[in-house]
Amino acid sequence: MDPRRAARTVIDPKVRQVGFFTPAVPPQRSQSVTVAVDGGGSPSPPMSDLSAASNSLSPVMIPPPRHVSVPVAVPAPLSPLRRESLTSLPVGSYNPSESLLGTSPLLSPSSRMDGSEFTEDVSPSAWGGRGGSAKVASSFPGSGGEMMAMKAGSGNTFQPKSSLTTASVVKMPPGVSVKNKGASVESPHERDGGPGAKPKEKMSKAERRALQEEQRAAKAAAKAAGEGRKPTSAAASAGAEQGKTAKPSSQKKDTAQVTGNVATQDKKGVDRPPEKDRKKEVPPPRMQFDDKSRVEKAKRRAVVNQSEARNIVELFRHLPQYIHGTQLPDLESKFFQLDPMHPSVYKVGLQYLAGDISGGNNRCISMLLAFRDAIRDYSTPPEKTLIRDLTAKISSYVSFLIECRSLSISMGNAIKFIKNRIAKLPLTLSESEAKSSLQSDIDHFINVKIILADKVIVSHAVTKIRDGDVLLTYGFSCVVEMILLSAHELGKQFRVVIVDSRPKLEGQKLLRRLVGKGLRCTYTHVNAISYIMHEVTRVFLGASSVLSNGTVYSRVGAACVAMVAHAFRVPVLICCEAYKFHERVQLDSICFNELGDPDVISEVPGRADLNHLYNWADNENLQLLNLTYDAMPSDYVSVIVTDYGMIKSQKIR
Amino acid sequence: MALSAVIRTSEATTMMELEIELKRASDALKSSDLTSISLSAGCDLFMRYVTRTKALEYEDFDAAKTRLMERGEKFGELSLRARKTIAMLCQDFIFDGCTILVHGFSRVVLEVLKMAATNRKLFRVFCTEGRPDSTGIRLSNELAKLGIHSKLLIDSAVAYAMDEVDMVFFGADGVVESGGIINMMGTYQTALVAHSMNKPVYVAAECYKFARLYPLDQKDLAPALRPIDFGVKVPPGVEVETSARDYTPPQYLTLLFTDIGVLTPSVVSDELIKLYL
Repeated sequence: MDPRRAARTVIDPKVRQVGFFTPAVPPQRSQSVTVAVDGGGSPSPPMSDLSAASNSLSPVMIPPPRHVSVPVAVPAPLSPLRRESLTSLPVGSYNPSESLLGTSPLLSPSSRMDGSEFTEDVSPSAWGGRGGSAKVASSFPGSGGEMMAMKAGSGNTFQPKSSLTTASVVKMPPGVSVKNKGASVESPHERDGGPGAKPKEKMSKAERRALQEEQRAAKAAAKAAGEGRKPTSAAASAGAEQGKTAKPSSQKKDTAQVTGNVATQDKKGVDRPPEKDRKKEVPPPRMQFDDKSRVEKAKRRAVVNQSEARNIVELFRHLPQYIHGTQLPDLESKFFQLDPMHPSVYKVGLQYLAGDISGGNNRCISMLLAFRDAIRDYSTPPEKTLIRDLTAKISSYVSFLIECRSLSISMGNAIKFIKNRIAKLPLTLSESEAKSSLQSDIDHFINVKIILADKVIVSHAVTKIRDGDVLLTYGFSCVVEMILLSAHELGKQFRVVIVDSRPKLEGQKLLRRLVGKGLRCTYTHVNAISYIMHEVTRVFLGASSVLSNGTVYSRVGAACVAMVAHAFRVPVLICCEAYKFHERVQLDSICFNELGDPDVISEVPGRADLNHLYNWADNENLQLLNLTYDAMPSDYVSVIVTDYGMIKSQKIR
Repeated sequence: MALSAVIRTSEATTMMELEIELKRASDALKSSDLTSISLSAGCDLFMRYVTRTKALEYEDFDAAKTRLMERGEKFGELSLRARKTIAMLCQDFIFDGCTILVHGFSRVVLEVLKMAATNRKLFRVFCTEGRPDSTGIRLSNELAKLGIHSKLLIDSAVAYAMDEVDMVFFGADGVVESGGIINMMGTYQTALVAHSMNKPVYVAAECYKFARLYPLDQKDLAPALRPIDFGVKVPPGVEVETSARDYTPPQYLTLLFTDIGVLTPSVVSDELIKLYL
């Protein structure tokens, strides 16, 4: 334990662990609690300021757990711990979305209460539901202790690099939760793998090696104890491996890593040390990884087939690589074979994959409607309780959706909401009552948090538009479209400049709609932003999410627009519903993002003569990077318009 | 004051009616001077302050009405007492031998200086002329009566004199959500100069002046126009900028002295939320 703890002091920018965790110790509540408590007292490792959060040695108690940073099974109800005593461990079903996104934004006391309410509820029920050890185990892998510790911290919402782990967390939870169903033996493995993987990033080489030895020993023991736990082994192997030198093997790792549910955080985290080690030529003990059968099993589990990613950009290795490829026809053919998947969910997943549905609100609404259908058609299997089983089902749907396309933050918050509602169902309700209550909850969420919120935002934002204004917007945001149309209907005279960017060219959609309604529009690409900015009076941008330090997370390119607007002293208004807020803190666009299809960059549709990047994948020195989101610092934002009113971006908390 | 009189004289028999009457009265007040932010903010706050008693369940309507009246009058007293509170808070910031630059004529600032003089502090005051309202002349008159040494500057001499100045004091017509202030024309200029020369800028404002506005730039305010007399006839075809007030963004203000305490501009929105909730 100690070497592991010391090891964690090294901060690895790629993988961050927030909070305390007890890697090899079986997750016991009291222990983790004490760990958390103790952790506060220990001296912080030299390097850390950020790692303070992630390090068990840091004296800083970790802020509200909800987060992402929890590598594995982060118990959903972090806030209770934070708020109250550390009595109830949030061990509970690990919901990917929850871990991913934490509780909903806490702008107002009421919403805060809701958030905590939800999380609180989930935890006890989750805990009780799945059986203690399994749950605990699953929730702990790598981050149980952290959770506790995090809860102990109060009010400190700064999670330095939690976002980094989000990507891996996304993969992990589905795997974990799916696996949980009865893999109690797994947990030690996972825990080993998880914590092992996480801190790996931060440890020095020697420490990593030491850790690996321990893990290998543990795994060997665990393997003897329980065979056939592919996820565990995958996790374990991910955890165990280090610095493989051969590129093919690293690619294989990536493949395995990416292969859906099993791709746990560990793998991702592990990827980094292997890379580093590879460069340093440390012979990695990769015994499990070499075990082809495990990798194959992992691949088979995945619903969506992932092909190997090509020419991965170093800096973005921690993100799930884009392996879209030819999955669509593949999935389509499987439509009638996928028994566990509800058809609406499957359909929505395919639509995400194909890019038919895009945009935070759209994706969230379509996902919620699909879940509502699924709940409507759901019937509890015999000898299972509705709460637990339905939560598990939702988790499996979520993991499928993740395979199709990474969750957006709005979706994550919505998923958390659903799981909270499910967990809060009184046990006395009959199945049909419970189902109808859930369905009405979903409807209520959509109506209040999205549709009504949009109306409020429009009414606030429209007051900021005056006659003679030239408004600039970037890409396509449904809220901004509503604002512009509403202002136009009110008779205000203004011009709109739509700035667009390749490869998605979402602005064209907005252009068509506005011109159809009679607004005067100018259309340009983002290269001309500094040229056009001098005549602009206001900039309206949408957002995928607003983080707790005021950073706005939105479509790639929006940060550029905001920066140029700031330089020209043009006010920037961000229009974002409150349900999209997130407690994460993100300082750059690298630690958490989504990678898109690199092929789209290499070609310009309609210009076959621009084929210089044909066969770019063959060139070892060439890597194409297609980011989907970027993070805009709060300094560039003048005001954020939400359904709670207009607030300064630094006041999001 | 007027609004509490409305409560007293109202004959409403239910809370709703009373509220409606109050609302009508406050609207009437507001419409009498469309441009005054402090008036409308004050009215809004009064309404909220008073109607908070609705949360209390009163069986007897008359008892509730009495309570409301009490609260209404209390609000009136509070605003009068606010100036004294603010003046007391400011005393620590005025040291012996300091030079204070004041722009505009604010009774709160006057109260501050009065109290400092009473406390036998030695300081001098630079008053900007404050065209077109001649606020500088009025202020230096008052200061002379108090025996405070004062010097008049024309508005353009602010940057010239800023070297000798130790701090700048403003009142405020309104304090907005971003933490900035709306005040007489020329405030923004003075604040900019002071900021660039690293002189602290203090604002003295009662808390009822906090308004739920969020101006993004100078033109985002409701226009308040005031004709300017240039002394000579303005040639035809020449426009005159007649706006009477400007918006000073929060980054140029150091501290706000209010009756709820000494605040930094960033805290204002939190306080506003507390007030208005």
